[in-house]
Amino acid sequence: MSEKTFVGKNIPKLDAREKATGQSIYAADLQLPGMLYGKIVRCWDHAHAKVLNLDLSEAVKVPGVVKVLGPKDVTQKNYNTGVLDLMVPEELGQLLGDIEDQRIFTDHVRHQGDAICGIIAESEEIAEIAAGKVKVLYEPLPVYLSAEESARPDAFQFDERKPGNRAFQLPEQMFPGNAYGWGDVDVEMAKADLIVEETFYLPKVKQCQMEPHAYVAHYDQTGRLNCWTSTQMPKCVQPKLARLFELPLSRVNLVSTTIGGGFGARLGMVFEPETCAMALAVPGRPVKVQSAREEDWVASESRHPGKYWMKLGVMKDGTPVAMDAHFTSNAGAYFTHSSGVPFTTGSWLTGMYKFGAIRYKGDTFYTNQAPSGAFRGYGNPQTNFALEQIVDQACNQLNIDPVDWRKKWHKGVGDDGWCIGVPYSSCALDECLERGAEAIGWKEKRARYANQSGTLRRGVGVGVMTHTSGAMPMLLEHTTCTVKMNEDASVVITLSCSDLGQGSHTVLKQIAADTLGMPMDEIHILVNMDAAGFDIGSHASRTTYVGGGAVIKACEDVKRQLIERAAIRLGISEEELEIEDRQVFARHDRDKRLSVKEICHTGVYNFTNPETGETNGVPGQIKGYASHFPGHNSPPFGACFAEIEVDIETGVVNVLELVIAHDIGRAINPMAVEGQLQGGAHQALGMILTEETCYDKKGLCRNNSFTDYKMLGPVDMPKLTTILVEQPDPIAPLGMKSVGEAGPVNPVGATANAISHALGIMFTEAPITPERILQALSEQKVA
Amino acid sequence: MSSRVLPQFDLLTPQSISEAVAMLAQYQGQVAVLAGGTDLLVWNYIRKLKPDYVLRLSNLDGLDYLNYVPGEGLRIGARAKVAQLLEHPDVAEKFPALHQAASTFATPQIRNMATIVGNVLRASPAGDCSCAILALGGQVLLQGPGGQRLVDIDDFWVAYGVTKRKYDELAVELRIPEPTSATRSAFIRMTRVHEDLAKLNVAVRLEMSQDTCSQARISMGCVGPTLVRLKQTEKLLNGKKITDELLQQLAASAQDEITPIDDQRSTADYRRQVAGVILRRVIEQAIETH
Ligand SMILES: Cc1cc2nc3c(=O)[nH]c(=O)nc-3n(C[C@H](O)[C@H](O)[C@H](O)COP(=O)(O)OP(=O)(O)OC[C@H]3O[C@@H](n4cnc5c(N)ncnc54)[C@H](O)[C@@H]3O)c2cc1C
Repeated sequence: MSEKTFVGKNIPKLDAREKATGQSIYAADLQLPGMLYGKIVRCWDHAHAKVLNLDLSEAVKVPGVVKVLGPKDVTQKNYNTGVLDLMVPEELGQLLGDIEDQRIFTDHVRHQGDAICGIIAESEEIAEIAAGKVKVLYEPLPVYLSAEESARPDAFQFDERKPGNRAFQLPEQMFPGNAYGWGDVDVEMAKADLIVEETFYLPKVKQCQMEPHAYVAHYDQTGRLNCWTSTQMPKCVQPKLARLFELPLSRVNLVSTTIGGGFGARLGMVFEPETCAMALAVPGRPVKVQSAREEDWVASESRHPGKYWMKLGVMKDGTPVAMDAHFTSNAGAYFTHSSGVPFTTGSWLTGMYKFGAIRYKGDTFYTNQAPSGAFRGYGNPQTNFALEQIVDQACNQLNIDPVDWRKKWHKGVGDDGWCIGVPYSSCALDECLERGAEAIGWKEKRARYANQSGTLRRGVGVGVMTHTSGAMPMLLEHTTCTVKMNEDASVVITLSCSDLGQGSHTVLKQIAADTLGMPMDEIHILVNMDAAGFDIGSHASRTTYVGGGAVIKACEDVKRQLIERAAIRLGISEEELEIEDRQVFARHDRDKRLSVKEICHTGVYNFTNPETGETNGVPGQIKGYASHFPGHNSPPFGACFAEIEVDIETGVVNVLELVIAHDIGRAINPMAVEGQLQGGAHQALGMILTEETCYDKKGLCRNNSFTDYKMLGPVDMPKLTTILVEQPDPIAPLGMKSVGEAGPVNPVGATANAISHALGIMFTEAPITPERILQALSEQKVA
Repeated sequence: MSSRVLPQFDLLTPQSISEAVAMLAQYQGQVAVLAGGTDLLVWNYIRKLKPDYVLRLSNLDGLDYLNYVPGEGLRIGARAKVAQLLEHPDVAEKFPALHQAASTFATPQIRNMATIVGNVLRASPAGDCSCAILALGGQVLLQGPGGQRLVDIDDFWVAYGVTKRKYDELAVELRIPEPTSATRSAFIRMTRVHEDLAKLNVAVRLEMSQDTCSQARISMGCVGPTLVRLKQTEKLLNGKKITDELLQQLAASAQDEITPIDDQRSTADYRRQVAGVILRRVIEQAIETH
């Protein structure tokens, strides 16, 4: 493509001003005439119990209560809040063992916060007061908080379809031995000069999106179920709701509201089923359901916690002959993403290095914690914590520089990507490693910090990663886009890609403006689910890569039509014509031209001269369209370097700097890319240093709000240096690759490695708190 | 859990201290005093208190002062905000412990709302200003129907969340004594992230002549149901020259003197492990920063 006006520029996010000034309308802000308020009554005192008796009689009597719904008053169909069922062929879904095990209201509480019944009232306060009057008699059941506990043979069985409470393991039919990888690990491992083996523990971390889940649903007089939601996946939630409530898609209308952050927390359905069930119970009246932060915490999904065993075999020269790994994750109370995450966790592992042989197993067990699900990175931060640390252990023991080792052994162009069989199309990891090392002062600091005494010990560490741009080939990967030319040649682009705040609509508009050769402010992006075609949602780091691809195709379709019409009008062949500055002109005779505006205008205002029968232009309003299935997933790579300082008397870690070099292919909006890396680093540092959802013995959450679940604040953040490495991907549209999901991945490994460089102790359990550090130091007697 | 339902209470807005006290007397312990509200209006707290009345101080115009009176010390009115501690030039100079407590306290937004007196009246073992004030020494001026009385800060906290204030009394002022030219003070706290309640805090006030400490006050928080003075440790310090060896002894003594527990912010073990370390550091800081 020719010179770019908008692509590659730091264009401010379209919604920045609205959000910063409080003008954005979120679902919770909506006020509709006649609106009622729903309250989901949740079990708060038990993590596992049978409901023996549900007494709603007092709740119904509260003045202002319109309806009270128990488990039998709503659809009896089961569902799965996840969307994998839509994204893989049915046979594959069956093979993976995906099941629907959730109910709108349950009489078997499987985690604290499970929904028992619903109250619909004239005000939110009344609904809450009535909720307080619901009397439930529970029979407590044994509580399991880890896979080890629920896997015991005598444990309560959560679901008869899942013996041993194993929600998922890699299916034997697809992956013999329930493992995937390549080569004979046992044979190769036996050849290794050095074997490093460790078990790592990953915490249950929460997305902490700013907007707590909130919805409005309205079953209107025309028989349509309308649902206002800030879901990341409107076009997947719509069919899930249609199926659950047995309505045709045309009678389910999803209205996307401003998304106050997603990070996976709004992947698939969250509390849409409960909200819609309430709306269906009071036809004609909208029902708003809001959740308090604590409810959001205990009843919506988190990152998969679990135990990650890893064994790495290397030769003296560093050659990684074998990798054996097993991630046993904690699914929480329901199936949801039980197959997806353990699968990709292994993908990121197999995608990273050229192991001689590798065997990855991933399984998931039910427990009585809140369900685990999607969280930015989808298994990748977990793998990064284990893999990057174990690699450094091997390097340390062999006296090999960790950067040199990574340069030598990372996968690259032509190697199998994270999905075996789809080779990497590009890889700028070497440049990332080189420029990152340079920026942090790697060689010098690595040497300088090797021998330290004193209270403050410094360390530098590196972590690399690879991810994906889009869900292909693992899942369905499809998005549509319509570009409508107005009669004045301004443009309305209709699509259903969500903007979670990452700036995807800004970026898509930049791409459209450059493809059409027009200013951004004459383009409007319309997100309307009735008008827009299909899209799999904003996840898998795909919206710029796949959505952008669709936008380009639809804009090219417009250009094709413009040229077609200009050819007719000018009497010049299409091949002779091109578009520049909103003019179609003949390449060899630039005076022969027609403005885009003229073509668009006469297409709409098309008049026929009654005498001559001639028209003033080619009739018909121009619309470009694309139904786009990308052919690849152009994986990005990245290298992160961390410098930290540990106070060995208090165990306090001070992160001094992170340098994040990212293989972006081409940055459509560099400022937005940097924002993604910075925000991702924030989440990674939280996972490494402070964040973990904790439960007491009864399975009740001990930190379900920001009072006691501590994310880093602005003052806690280190200096962040971002380096965008732009080596365009040969396959990708505009050469671009993804960044969103990559953000929280390798600062995890880099920071953990920096801590272990400073102390000479590897921490296998995250978060690495001062308490854990001090304990480890006192055990190891570091002086 | 948080809630959309505000507890039912009547809001009282006295126009004068005497009216406020009369209201406190009239409603006999059913009243919660509202200063900045950064504790009181946190849902869990007000739900536990379940007050029938909330008495707000917002119309008591005279109480937002923070004055340094040479020869007497600091006078802090009931409506003075934590932010005012950072604005007043004499606080940093003469009461560094209190200044340091204020500067690490929460975030600017909270500091603009939270009162210093509210911090003391909350009687939390984690209160930062309270920790500094306990080390600096001082008195709480209470006004009741029968007049005013002064309660020494050493006696003011009775149990977790409980003070010597009687239900019909309003805390109107805090007094912190004038330091001498030999007085040194400092404050340190430890938190999980910057914006957090302390997992451990410590403050000292030392009367120094050269390297020797003639008198010490040490306060520590999050190691028991109330903030505590480490009196045994103070004794070890009094009259001694501050040496590395002494600092080690003090650290060991501090560990023995506290009774920390495990909670969401930290563990008893950790608190015990670092109590001595931060005591040593706060003493060093007090001496150095002069
Ligand atoms: C986000 C956040 C962060 C925080 N961070 C910190 C921190 O870093 N360090 C820290 O120490 N605290 C912190 N706090 C707690 C709180 O801000 C402080 O304790 C604050 O000083 C309380 O002052 P206030 O004016 O808001 O008190 P209020 O909430 O109005 O009152 C607190 C208590 O004192 C009583 N009271 C107040 N004034 C009087 C009076 N004149 N007479 C009688 N009784 C009275 C009230 O009835 C109530 O019981 C934080 C709170 C929040 C919400």
